[in-house]
Amino acid sequence: MTLRTMGGAAARRGIVRLGLAFMVSYGALPIIIALMYLGFGLVEPRFHSGDNAINILKQASYLAILATGQMLALLTRGFDLSIGQMTSMVSVASALVMMGVLARNPDAVVLAILAACAVGLAAGLATGAVNGLCVAVFRINPFVVTLGMQGIAMGFATTISDGFPVFNLPIEFTEVFSRSSWLGIPAPVAVCIIVLAVAYIVLNHSVLGRSWYILGGNPRAAHIAGLSSRVHLVSAYVMCSLFVAVGALLLTARTGSGEPNLGGGLMLQSIAAAVIGGVSLRGGEGRVIHVVYGALFVTILSIGMNFVRIDGYIQQIVLGVVVVAAVYLDLLRTRIR
Amino acid sequence: MAETRSAERAHDAPGTAVVPGASPLLLDLKGITKRFPGVVALDSVDFELRRGEVHVLFGENGAGKSTLTNIVAGTYPADQGRIIFDGRQISHLTPHQARLAGISPVFQEFSLAPDLTVEENLFLGREHAAWGVLHKREMRAKARAVLGDLGFDLRANARVGGLMRAQQQMTEIAKALLQDVKLLILDEPTASLTEHETERLFALIDRLKREGVGIIYVSHRIGEIKRVGDRVTVLRDGKKIGTVDAAAIEEIQLVEMMTGRKIDVLFPTIDCKPGPVLIEASHLSTADGRLVDVSFTVRAGEIVGVAGLVGCGKSELARAVFGLEKLSAGEITIEGAPVRRPKPSTMLKRGVCYFPSDRVAEGLALPRPLRENVSVAALDLPNFTRLRFIRRARERAEVKAIVETLRIRPPQIERPVDFLSGGNRQKVMLARGLTREIRMFLFDEPTVGIDVGAKTEVYQFMKELAEGGSAVLLISSELPEVLNLSHRVYVMHRGRVVTELSGAEITEQAVLSLFFDKKGFGGGAKPAASA
Repeated sequence: MTLRTMGGAAARRGIVRLGLAFMVSYGALPIIIALMYLGFGLVEPRFHSGDNAINILKQASYLAILATGQMLALLTRGFDLSIGQMTSMVSVASALVMMGVLARNPDAVVLAILAACAVGLAAGLATGAVNGLCVAVFRINPFVVTLGMQGIAMGFATTISDGFPVFNLPIEFTEVFSRSSWLGIPAPVAVCIIVLAVAYIVLNHSVLGRSWYILGGNPRAAHIAGLSSRVHLVSAYVMCSLFVAVGALLLTARTGSGEPNLGGGLMLQSIAAAVIGGVSLRGGEGRVIHVVYGALFVTILSIGMNFVRIDGYIQQIVLGVVVVAAVYLDLLRTRIR
Repeated sequence: MAETRSAERAHDAPGTAVVPGASPLLLDLKGITKRFPGVVALDSVDFELRRGEVHVLFGENGAGKSTLTNIVAGTYPADQGRIIFDGRQISHLTPHQARLAGISPVFQEFSLAPDLTVEENLFLGREHAAWGVLHKREMRAKARAVLGDLGFDLRANARVGGLMRAQQQMTEIAKALLQDVKLLILDEPTASLTEHETERLFALIDRLKREGVGIIYVSHRIGEIKRVGDRVTVLRDGKKIGTVDAAAIEEIQLVEMMTGRKIDVLFPTIDCKPGPVLIEASHLSTADGRLVDVSFTVRAGEIVGVAGLVGCGKSELARAVFGLEKLSAGEITIEGAPVRRPKPSTMLKRGVCYFPSDRVAEGLALPRPLRENVSVAALDLPNFTRLRFIRRARERAEVKAIVETLRIRPPQIERPVDFLSGGNRQKVMLARGLTREIRMFLFDEPTVGIDVGAKTEVYQFMKELAEGGSAVLLISSELPEVLNLSHRVYVMHRGRVVTELSGAEITEQAVLSLFFDKKGFGGGAKPAASA
C-alpha cells in the first residue's frame, strides 16, 4: 500500500517535472501569447479590433524578419548588435538614392524604387560581409565587432542624412511595400512569410544551414569533421544583414521616409524575440518557428502596453526584464533536460 | 515498507536514527530504487560496504553506477529503500550532510574552480577563517601536508585551469581526503593518470584500507579491479546482477554478467595481410615541439599501435597527420601522393578520418541530433547532397543503416547526441567513417570512458576495417589494447618515436621498458614539455 503510494508520488513528481520541462520549452509560448492577447483585450476592448489584429501581424512581421537575421548570428554562437543601426543606415541610404533618382527624372518612380532596394540590399550585404570577415577571419569577438559596427552604422546614417529624416518618398513606394495586399495578405506579412520560408529552407535543407548548426553546436567538432568555419561564419553574417536590409526597406516604406534613428530599439527587440522564442544563446539550437513566436510575443506585449497607456520608457524596462528572464528560462530548460 | 515510514518520521529527529543491533558494515543499502522521468535508473538494489573494503561497482554506461554513487553522496534522494551508514539509518541526505558524515565523493566531472589555485580549491567552501579573514598560512601548510602525504606532483599555488587532466584528478582526490573520511567514492579515478601516478593512488588506497576506510570504486579496468578490489558488484539496466569475489573472478565472466550475453574473447584475433603503404609520415616536427622528427608508416590491412605516456606526443602524431597541429618540418604522403597543407576537409577527401579522444570537446555537436552528427563529414558528397542541398530522405536512410550496423542504442536518429551514453557517443563518431570512402582510420583513445561491451564492439569495428584492407592507426593509453590489437607498435617518449616493434616483439615488458627515461622509473612520469 505504502509502496504503491510512494510509487505514485514518484510518478507524480515525474509528471510534474515533465510538464515543467514541456512548459519551459516551446509548448508554453503559444499559450502565453494567446493569454496575453486576451488579457490586453479585457483591459482595453479596442485591442481586439480587426484593424489592430492586422496591425499586430504587420508589426510582428518587421520584427520577425530582423529576428530571423539575429537568429542566424546566434546559431553560430555569435551575436549581431548592429542590427538596429544597420536598419537606420539602410533606410537613409535607400531613401537618399530614391530621392536622387527622382531629382533627375521625376517620372522614373519604378527605377527609383528598384535602385533604392538594390542599394539597401547592397549596404546590408557589405555590412554583413565586414562583420563576418572580422569574426571569421580575424577572430575578433562578435560582440565587439558588431558593437563597433553599430557605432559605424549610426555615424554613417547620421552623416549622409545630416541627421534629418529624408522626407517625400514617392507614394508608390509606401503603397507597394506597406499598404497593399499581395493575394489578400498585407505586403509586410507577405514579405515576412517569404523571408521565413527562405530561412527555413536554408536552415533545414542546405549544407550551409546544417553547417551553421554544427558550428554553433561545437566549432572544434565542426572543424574536425571538415567544415570550413570561415566560409560559413561569413555567410551567416551576410545573410543576417540581408534580412535586416529587407526589414529596413519595409520599415522605410511604412514611415514613408528615410529615418536616421529608425533602428534605436530594434537591436534589443530582435534579440528578445529570438531568445524568448527559444533560440539558444549557446549556439546550435533554434528554429524559424521560435522566431515567429518570439516576434508575436514582443509585438503583442509592446502594442498592448501602448493600448493600456504604459509609458514608452517603462516599456523598455519591461522588455529588458523579459529578455533576461527568457535567457534564464533557456538555462533552466537545459538543466531540466 | 515500515522502514520507509520510519525513515520519514526519523527526519523529525536529528536526521538519523539508531538501528538496534548495528552491523559491522559501514554502509548497507537495501532495496534502493530511483526513477527519472522515463527510466528506472535503479531497481531495488542492495549494496553493502565493510570497513576497510574496496567494493567495485561494475557495469555498462547507464547501468546505474553513477546513480548509486550519487545517492550515497547525497546528490539526489532515493525514491525507495533504506540507507544505513555507520550503524545509523539515514533518511534525508544532502551532499553537505554526507561530507560531514565522512562520505567523500570523487566524481569524473570535476568540481573544481578553474581560476583558483589548487590550494584554494582544496578549501573551497570550507575555508579556515576568523572574522572573515582567511588563515592563508594555515591552509597552505595543510594543503602542502595533504599533497605531500599523497605523493602527488602538484604545486599548491598552481592555477587549476592550467593543469593537465591528470593533475586536476589528483587535486580532486586530495580535496576528498582533506577531511576525515570514512567512505570514499572513486569514479574511474585512474582514467587520466599515468602508470606511475596510478601506483601512487593504489598505495594510498591500501593505506586507507588499513585505516578502515570503506571505498566504493567504479572502474571498467579489470587490471585495477584485481589489484585493489575486494568484492565486485555488477549492475545491468539498474538491477543488481550479483556480487562476486574480486580475486576469483575472470574478466570474461564479469563482462558476461555485465552485458548479459556470452562473450568469447575480449580482443579479437585480427588477420594481417599488409598491402601497400597508405600513410607515410617522414621527419614530422610540430611548431610547439610536441613532436620531434617523427617518421612512421601504416599499410593497408594493418593495425599500427602507438603507445607512450600521457603527454608523450602520441596523440599529436595523428593530429598532425590530420592537419590539426602546426607542422614545422616533415612530409606527409597519403597513398603515394604528398599532402602540401594537411587540413581536415582535404584529409577526409583523401580518405583519412581522425576520431579525437575527447568526444565532448572535439567530436560531437551535443545539442544536434544523431543524424546530423553522423552525416556531417560527408556533406560534400552526392550521396548526401545535390547542389549544396541536403537530400534528407537519402540522409535518413543512410544514417539509419549505419546506426543499425554499429548497433547504436537507442536507434533514434533525431535524438540529440547529448542523451546518449559514452559508448554510443563514440559509435556516433565512428559512424562518420562509414559515411564516405575512408581507407585510413586514425583512432585516438577510442575506448576511453566507455564500457567493456562497447569496447568489444569498437575492437570488432577495427578488425573489420583492417581485414577489409583499411589502414588503422591506434593511439591508446590502454596498454592491453595496443598489445592485443596491433600488428606493429611504435613507442613514443618525449615527442619522439623511440622504437618500432612488430609481431612477437610486442610484449608488455618491451613496451613498458621504453615508456620511461633510462635513469629511473619516476622521472618518466612527467609529460614531455616543449623541447
